[in-house]
Amino acid sequence: MHPSSETSVRAATVAIELRGVTRLFGTIPAIVRANLRVERGEVVVLRGPNGAGKTTLLRIAATALSPTYGRGSILGFDLEREREEIRLRSDLLSHRTRLYEDLGAAENLAFWCRLLGLDAAGIDAALERVGMLEVAGERVRGFSQGMRQRIAVARTIIRRPDLLLLDEPYTGLDAEARHAVDDLIREAARDGRTVLMATHHPAPEAVAHRELHVDGGRIVREAP
Amino acid sequence: MTARAEHVASSAPFLRQAMAIAAKDLRIEVRGRHALGTLLPFAATLLVSFGFAFGPGRDVLERTAPGLLWMATLFAAVMAARRSYQAETEDDALEGLLLAPVDKAAVFLGKAVAVTLELLVLVIAVLLMVVVLFDLSPGNPFALLGAFALGTVGLAAVGGLFGVVAEAERTREAVFPMLVLPLVTPVLIAGVRATDLATTGQAGEAAQWLGLLLAFDIVFVSVGILVFGHLMED
Repeated sequence: MHPSSETSVRAATVAIELRGVTRLFGTIPAIVRANLRVERGEVVVLRGPNGAGKTTLLRIAATALSPTYGRGSILGFDLEREREEIRLRSDLLSHRTRLYEDLGAAENLAFWCRLLGLDAAGIDAALERVGMLEVAGERVRGFSQGMRQRIAVARTIIRRPDLLLLDEPYTGLDAEARHAVDDLIREAARDGRTVLMATHHPAPEAVAHRELHVDGGRIVREAP
Repeated sequence: MTARAEHVASSAPFLRQAMAIAAKDLRIEVRGRHALGTLLPFAATLLVSFGFAFGPGRDVLERTAPGLLWMATLFAAVMAARRSYQAETEDDALEGLLLAPVDKAAVFLGKAVAVTLELLVLVIAVLLMVVVLFDLSPGNPFALLGAFALGTVGLAAVGGLFGVVAEAERTREAVFPMLVLPLVTPVLIAGVRATDLATTGQAGEAAQWLGLLLAFDIVFVSVGILVFGHLMED
């Protein structure tokens, strides 16, 4: 699944482009005619009350949900027809950490490395960065939410996606785990990768390029 | 392409992905001791209960042993397949697999391989129990093992395929058996007949039933590989 040179060029232009995207759950609209353009390398924060549609927007960008109406592209790839290309280059990090509870911290990461064909040599370094190397062999079942989140951050560190989608990544985290998430965002910004994040917390200092306000399923205003 | 882009864009070959899924499921299984801790006692209780229900007559038990063996295997298969998907939903891991750049058919194949191996271990233990409890003669052991090997592949394929469908339902505990049990009726019939013939030394006649089991495996493994990705996306 190596991208061709043509797809690499496509990925080098706009990171996220949604045009008139509406998402209905039954008859209830979660997102209404949303237009969003995020340039490659930007760090954009979505703000808004609970139920505003921020998670739906992120899940559409991650290809976890399809738009009911409208079109879009992520990293130059069509949201509907080129999902696997998008998934190859993006990662959605949320408070649901997607870990296997009966596997250890390092085993979870080793599984993802084997599955995705990534180099497992970076597992220890990633766990050390998030302060979890000492419990690398312990099962996830006994971990707190903050510890789980740090392992999920370590997984994203290993993957190094071009597009990082973060859905309330600070929920339930202690100070150390929040630092791990902040470091992940800072590193992505430094590397020129794109970050779209929904959070009620302040973004790491001097990293966010734009903040968008989402309410009632609409992107209602933008503040530079 | 930069070194980082190459790193991001890498993806394991299909079979390696399937083996990663199977190894992960088996490791979780060994850690959770589900097969030994739940399935084996369940199958043993089922067999002993049937033994009491049919009474002490050895002839009746010998005649019903193949059917009981397959009923125990069938129910164990349903439980093993359900368990395989429970591990995926505990922390939304199934969505992680959906959003991962992996061939979804590899997820199906890996899960089916893991359930098949779990069931084979279970079947060997249950066979030994039946030989002791019901005095079942192994007859032609190759035909007997062939029947169970082919049968468990079919059961695992159907369970792996519909496990992902049932996960979307709130009533998954009820929906899953309702989806799986009617579909695996051919496995049950062919398995019981092949076992009966194998244990009575008529291995030659068992071949046609083994052929039916093989055809079932080919159909459902192929269907699983073709449609699992669509089911997962939906």
